[in-house]
Formats: sequence, structure tokens, C-alpha cells
Amino acid sequence: MTEAGIYIITILISVVLGIILAYISSLRISSAKEKKNIKDDALTDLETPELESKDSFHSLLFKEINNVVGSSKKSKLITYKVGEIFEQTLKNKVDAVSSEISHKYENIIAEKTKNEEIAWGKYKEILNDKKETEAVIRSIAEGLVVVDAKGNVIMMNPAAEKLLGVPSKEKTGKSILEGLKEEQIVSLVKSNEREKNKEIELVSPNEETKKILRASSAVIEDEDGKPVGMVSVLSDITKQKELDRLKSNFVSSVTHELRTPLVAIEKSISLLLTESIPESQQREFLSIAQRNIKRLTNLINDLLDMSKLEAGKMSISCQLCSIVDVINEAVSGLKSWADTKSIEIKKIIEDNLPQINIDPNRIIQVLINLIGNAIKFTPNSGTITIEAKFISADNEIEVAVQDTGIGIPKEDLVHIFDKFFQIEGERIPTDISGSGIGLSVAKEIIKLHKGRIWAESEKGKGARFIFRLPLS
Amino acid sequence: MEVEKKKNRILIVDDEKDFRELLKFWLESKGYEVIIAINGQDAIQKTKNQNLDLIFMDLHMPIMDGKETIKQIREFNKDIPIVVISAYIEDAKVKEAMEYNISGAFYKGEDFEKGLVLLETVLRRHRGLK
Repeated sequence: MTEAGIYIITILISVVLGIILAYISSLRISSAKEKKNIKDDALTDLETPELESKDSFHSLLFKEINNVVGSSKKSKLITYKVGEIFEQTLKNKVDAVSSEISHKYENIIAEKTKNEEIAWGKYKEILNDKKETEAVIRSIAEGLVVVDAKGNVIMMNPAAEKLLGVPSKEKTGKSILEGLKEEQIVSLVKSNEREKNKEIELVSPNEETKKILRASSAVIEDEDGKPVGMVSVLSDITKQKELDRLKSNFVSSVTHELRTPLVAIEKSISLLLTESIPESQQREFLSIAQRNIKRLTNLINDLLDMSKLEAGKMSISCQLCSIVDVINEAVSGLKSWADTKSIEIKKIIEDNLPQINIDPNRIIQVLINLIGNAIKFTPNSGTITIEAKFISADNEIEVAVQDTGIGIPKEDLVHIFDKFFQIEGERIPTDISGSGIGLSVAKEIIKLHKGRIWAESEKGKGARFIFRLPLS
Repeated sequence: MEVEKKKNRILIVDDEKDFRELLKFWLESKGYEVIIAINGQDAIQKTKNQNLDLIFMDLHMPIMDGKETIKQIREFNKDIPIVVISAYIEDAKVKEAMEYNISGAFYKGEDFEKGLVLLETVLRRHRGLK
């Protein structure tokens, strides 16, 4: 190569570099105009800015440009401008990216917060639902027990605790019957695995109280239909059972009470019809028939009275009368019956008792019932005493019927006026059983008179039935 | 039925006065000698002290019911025929009493005639066994 050749090449390279730099400058100006709105006169204003050697990037750039341009002043200016453009572009880029990232991040946070809020809301909702359900379970009167597949108690409500007599804490995780004292469970009968209703009979250790529970159970299944436990509803059916028992006793004793006189009537009449009977005997048979017809009539009247009382339809028609007359009339109707057992009926009646406004027929009915009971429960040759006196403090007349029978057990005294109640089993002392409604009818009649009736008894000292009627 | 030379002696045990008097009259009119007991205790005493051929025993009695009375009688007399009396055919007590060697059951609603046939059958069978 010649010297001239090298020179030409050098000039060409310089020209090309010059064109490139000029192009870069024009690009920078237009982009600055577009983007950041940098002042157009920046080039003229900043003729010779002090190029602080900020970093290696600037000094490297200056060195390269200076090599080409050859003028330190121009190179500085170009380096500054190029650097500025570069920095600005970079900054813009970084800004854009970071703003995009922060926007995205904000969105994510916002979404997350929103989800959290929804979740919290739902949680609170569920918590409230749970509390509500628990409150419902707690407050229902029926006992609720949930057991798992092994038969261990998962939960029970306060009613169940009360019914089973065991606190929930002691039962949770244990079998439903565990912890109940052996003697408490009388029976778990009338049930098998398949049956949904069980009757559980519980007796307190001191045997004072007996409870009959009905357990209605349902199997809890998971989504696959596999049994995972059982929920049982316990209800106390003791009273219901007792009422059922009293009613069936009532039905059988009424049946007996109806049959017995019917048999006597039928038998005496058929003997009269078929046999040749001496006249004295005929009279006897006729009086048997008559007596039993009366007994039937009384029973039917009692039943009618009871149904009237139940319907609230019994009325009394009061008139001023003497209690002595009422007592005498009641006694006269029962004297022949008392005579058959050689029972003496004594009357201790205060002198000058005031007249009283009562329904005499109803009070006679009460007295017949009380005296009749006294005759039934008094052994032969006993005594029945009827007392009547005026209680001035209360302005009431008190009538008492006292017998010399075996008395009424203390535990039965409170029930004696209950419908269908009869003193049970071997305690029925003498020859006639009743329908179990006479005393409850008597009580209602006394109540209609705004009076009160009660019984007192000591074992072996007979029973005393007392009623009081207000004068006004 | 031919009338026996020696009268059969029957004990009626029932707390219901009217019924036992009517049954007594009927049996007496048919030639039987009738003794009455008004409760279980009375019945046990009379079974011990009297020479009886048959007992009519009401099952429904207070204090000591018919079943208990029969049980106690069987402790000292395994042999005497006992016919139980009940007011109802469906009476569960009749079945319960069966375990103490009972010869038959008579229901109060049935005709006395039927009771008489039962009585005669039981007595005949009992004599046959002897």
C-alpha cells in the first residue's frame, strides 16, 4: 500500500464516522422531542458542560468519541448528550418495567386481599352458623347425642346430660352407656341393632326416681354412604308411659267394674227364671239384681261426670241449705252397705252450723264417694266418723270423714286425687276395687264450690278425708 | 247325672259376695254341699280343716290372690281338684295359675249349667284317677 492509499482510507473512515455521529445527533434530538420534551436549545445552552468523570461508562464513551472527533470540547459535549440519551432511555425502560412490575404486584396484592376478605367473611358466616346451630342444639328440650362409628360419644347437648345424668365432659369419647351406673340401666329392651327406636329405662341409684327415655336414632353416612356414626334424639317419655299405664289400668278396672255387677244381675235373674225358688230367696235375688244395677248406674254416672269435667261442662246449681241434711242424706243411702260389714257410722256435728250455699246433690255425691271409700277400706266391725264444724277464722265449713281402715301409704297421699289412680297391688285391702275416678270427680266438685279437699293418713290409724266449703 | 249317695263338698272362694251366694244357691239346688271362703287365708284354713271334694277359686282377690292361695294349698294338698273362676276369658291369670295343677276354668259370664258340667267332669275324672 502506498502512503496515499492509507490517507484516503483514513479520510473515508472519518467521513463515515462523521455521518454516523451526525445521524446519532439527529436521532437524539427527535427522540428527545418525542419523549421527554427536553428543550430544543439544550445543545446551544450547554456548549461546554463540565464532564464529571461520573463513572467508567462516561470516561469510556468520552475516550472513544474523542478518538474520533479529536476535539476534547466537542467530545465532552457529545459524550454528555449521548450519556444523557442513554441514561434517559435506560431510566425510561427501567421505569416502565418497574411500573409494570409494581402494577402487577399491586394487582396481585389487591386480589389476595380481596380473597382474604371473602374468606374471612365466609369464615365469620360459618362461625355464626355454627354458633346458631349450637345454640339450637343446646336449647332443644330433647336430648341430642352424636356417636361415632365405634359408638363413642362425640357430642351431647345439656338436655341429654340431664336425661342421662352425666356431664358431657365425662361422656365425650366414651360409649353412650359407659359411666352410667350398672343399676341405673334397668333395660335397653324392645330394640335391636336395626330398629331405630329404643326405650331405655333408667333408675336412680337410690331407686327413688325412674325414667323411661325413648331414643330415636339415625345413622350418619359420609358421601360414599359409609356409616360414620349415629345421631340419637332422647326424649323423656316417663309421664306418657305412666299415663298409658294408668289408662290401661283404668280400662281394665272399669271393665271389671262393669262385668262384675252384670254377672250378678244376669245370674240372679236367670236363677229366678229357671229354678223353683222359695219366696224369701226370690226377694234376696231380686235385691242382688237391684243392688248391682245401682252399682252400674253409679259407675256410669261417675264416668259421665268425669267426661263432663274434662270438657269443662259440669255446672253446679247452688242453693242455701243445711250441711247436716246433706250429710244425713248421704249416710242414709249407704247405711245398708255399712251394715253388711257391721261398720258403725258415727256423726259428730257442731250445733247451730250456718246455712251454706252449695249444690246439695253434688255435695251428697262427694260424701257418698268418701263414705263409700271408707266402707270399702274399713274391715268388718270398724267405725266411720263424720265430723262437721264451722271454722270462723276462714268463714268456712269443714267436713271430715275418718275411717278405721289400714290407711293410705304416705307416698300415695299426693296422688290419691289423681285421675285413674288406685292404691296398688297388695295394698288394696278389702273387697271392692274402684274405677279410680271417684276421688278426682269429688275434687273437681269441691273446686267448683271454691272449696278444697285433702287427705291425711297415718299407717294403721285409718284415713281422714277433709273438705272445706266457703260460706260466701 | 245320678245323685251321689254322699254329697260332694265344694268350697267356693270368692270375695264378691253376690256371685258366691248365687253360685252357692245353684250348686246346693243341684245337690252339692257348699262351703264359702271369702279370702285366701280363709280358704287355706277351710281346705285344711274340712274334707273337701273340689274347690272353686276366684283368681281376683285382694291381699292374697287366687294364684297365691292355690300355691299355698298345693304345699299341703297336691291332690284336691281346683277349678279357677275368672271374670274374663282373656284373663292372663288363668294361664299363670295353670302351673299349680288346675283342673279347669270357669268364666263368670258363662251359664251356671256349663259350670256344673265342668264340675261333674272334673269330679268323675278325679274319682277315676283314684
